[in-house]
Amino acid sequence: MSEEAFPHTYHLDFSGSAGPLFGIFVRNVFLTLITFGVYYFWGKTRVRAYLFGQTSFADDRFVYHGTGAELFKGFLKGLVIFGMPLFVLDLLGNVASLPTGIRVLVGLLSLLLVLTLSGVAVVAAHRYRLSRTSWRAIRFSFRGGIREFVRLFLTGTLLTGVTLGFYYPVFFVRQMRFLIARSYVGNQRFQFDGSAAGLVGPYLLAIAVSAAVIIIVPFPTSFLQLLIWAFGLIVPWTAYLVKQQTYVWNHTSLGNAHFRLNIEGMDYFALKFGNLLLLVLTFGLGWPWVSVRNVRFMCTHLTLTGVLDFAAIEQDARAATATGEGLADLFGVDADVGIG
Amino acid sequence: MQTHWHGVHLDGRTARRSAVTVHPSQDGLVITPETGETRRWAYAEIRQIQGRYAGEQIRIERRDDVAEALLIDDASFLSALHRLVPDRVTHFHNPARRPTLTRLTVAAGLLSVGLIGWLYVWGVPAMIAVATPYVPVAWEEEIGAAAVDYLIPAEERCTEPEHAAVIRRVVARLTASVSPQPYTFRVHIADSPDVNALAAPGGHIILFRGLLQRMRTPEELAGVLAHEMQHVLLRHGTRALLQSFSTGLLLAFITSGDPSGAAALGLESAHILNLLRHSRHQEAEADRAGMDMLRAAQIDPKGMIAFFESIRQHEHEQPGLLHYFSTHPDTAGRMSALRDRTMRASAQPVAVVPDYDWRRMRTVCTSGE
Repeated sequence: MSEEAFPHTYHLDFSGSAGPLFGIFVRNVFLTLITFGVYYFWGKTRVRAYLFGQTSFADDRFVYHGTGAELFKGFLKGLVIFGMPLFVLDLLGNVASLPTGIRVLVGLLSLLLVLTLSGVAVVAAHRYRLSRTSWRAIRFSFRGGIREFVRLFLTGTLLTGVTLGFYYPVFFVRQMRFLIARSYVGNQRFQFDGSAAGLVGPYLLAIAVSAAVIIIVPFPTSFLQLLIWAFGLIVPWTAYLVKQQTYVWNHTSLGNAHFRLNIEGMDYFALKFGNLLLLVLTFGLGWPWVSVRNVRFMCTHLTLTGVLDFAAIEQDARAATATGEGLADLFGVDADVGIG
Repeated sequence: MQTHWHGVHLDGRTARRSAVTVHPSQDGLVITPETGETRRWAYAEIRQIQGRYAGEQIRIERRDDVAEALLIDDASFLSALHRLVPDRVTHFHNPARRPTLTRLTVAAGLLSVGLIGWLYVWGVPAMIAVATPYVPVAWEEEIGAAAVDYLIPAEERCTEPEHAAVIRRVVARLTASVSPQPYTFRVHIADSPDVNALAAPGGHIILFRGLLQRMRTPEELAGVLAHEMQHVLLRHGTRALLQSFSTGLLLAFITSGDPSGAAALGLESAHILNLLRHSRHQEAEADRAGMDMLRAAQIDPKGMIAFFESIRQHEHEQPGLLHYFSTHPDTAGRMSALRDRTMRASAQPVAVVPDYDWRRMRTVCTSGE
């Protein structure tokens, strides 16, 4: 085949629909109920396998190889290894007879532990998901060190706090660089050439606009003022989120091919607003439609342009456990470079 | 009948795809590429990864040190496999079973709705009723204290020793009448014109200034106190807390696929209605047990009824202030139930705090503290 020879624009294609996903959703709810929640992990895997399996790139579908048993074990492990110390610290912090100094120290320790584990969760979940994903029978992998990321995560969180949030865009780009530039498909590494300063401008703009709204419009007492507040705050931050997402993709490449995410703030806003309406009006039953809308949106707007040498992509898989994903479930952390 | 299918083979070593022809035989799949060697995959060493849904490409993987894959677009391949070697491909999806799966899914959906409804209305409350007596009193006290601190900050409480002492005496009289119980009752007076009283878990009771100032006899106070103390003894607050927590969990579960929490919001309001309905039953229960408590303490139960009546008469004058009825609903029904119960009262009542000039209760919260 001649697909390797010329520069080409590749699209992601989603061929799934909400019907089968709704079926999966219904079966998951039922089985989770009668197993007292244990099936949740298997259900999550089913949903992911469906969404991955319906998404294709250059005529080939992605495959999700994760299993529910892995996720369940990961969750239990996370619960025992990390949940127990947290529980003990929490108990200690509530013992009234301990001196205040010690209780404050215990509180700080818990905070540090939670932050550390959140970092572990982000990077380990990323590693797990990639290792369980394949395209054309070639596995993805992540080869960054957990300790290195946690160091980055803790410093970034601290600096973000100290600078009252102004450091955030720099922190965000650093996390993405770490997660993307150590990700592989087979033996081919993804590259990220975004700079830490790239998002500072849009971030400051979002802060400035929302600050202006808060200062100029009095605290909402009428419906009109509430509306102005809501839009005055939602619009600049939606715009920033779009900017952030496009920035990350537009600075990501694979071999000699560059990703391009082409979304407008208005489209994104319409997507999210539609999703909200769908969920509210159906009491959450519209969730499968929302998921399909999200994936389809990304597939429509994400492209990869350039020369891809498919023959050069060789199998080079790495092992990973699901403990990070289990942790992510414990803390509700779900920051990842994804297409969902 | 079709015997050969077009497919794509992925060798699991590079991302190259090669077109192949697949022929299912008795022993396994015979895979013939356009150029190169023919492969034979035994049925036992392969499994189906994708192709369970209508229109989805069939994907078969063969486990070796690296996973090879075979992709076939035509779903008739699966049906043919099941016709040819039904016993060897039981681990493969059978398109013929799709209608059955659909019916099972519909059944699972209906069962889920029923199950969730049952849990919500009956299952969870029943489990809570079983669990509540095992909640340690120390926990209840801690929760109750936190609730009181939250509801009335220290600077909004009246702590005049005179009124506190009288109320303590009434409480002591009531507690002396019941068999040993684990609670220490603490009554807090809130400096607020509201006519209301509340019970928090662990023995904490809040009386509002407006309520105390409206009471004409100590028997009226004893009536309200007996009712609130019964909420504590019957652990109504603790039960409501557990209920709210577990239902919250149930709601979180139902809506776990919904990241925005919008659905949770809708269900939560239904849940609050349910809690209110539940509390009516508890109010009646506290009334009955409170009345029995008054009788056991030889306190005239007419005080309780008289107080209800006086409140009701004033209900129309200052509707905003009479919160007692918003947290203690259905007055008329409860009054008639109480009257029925009073009829059965036999013992001669003994006056409550007869040596105290009750009019002084009006001065509660006026000493400038």
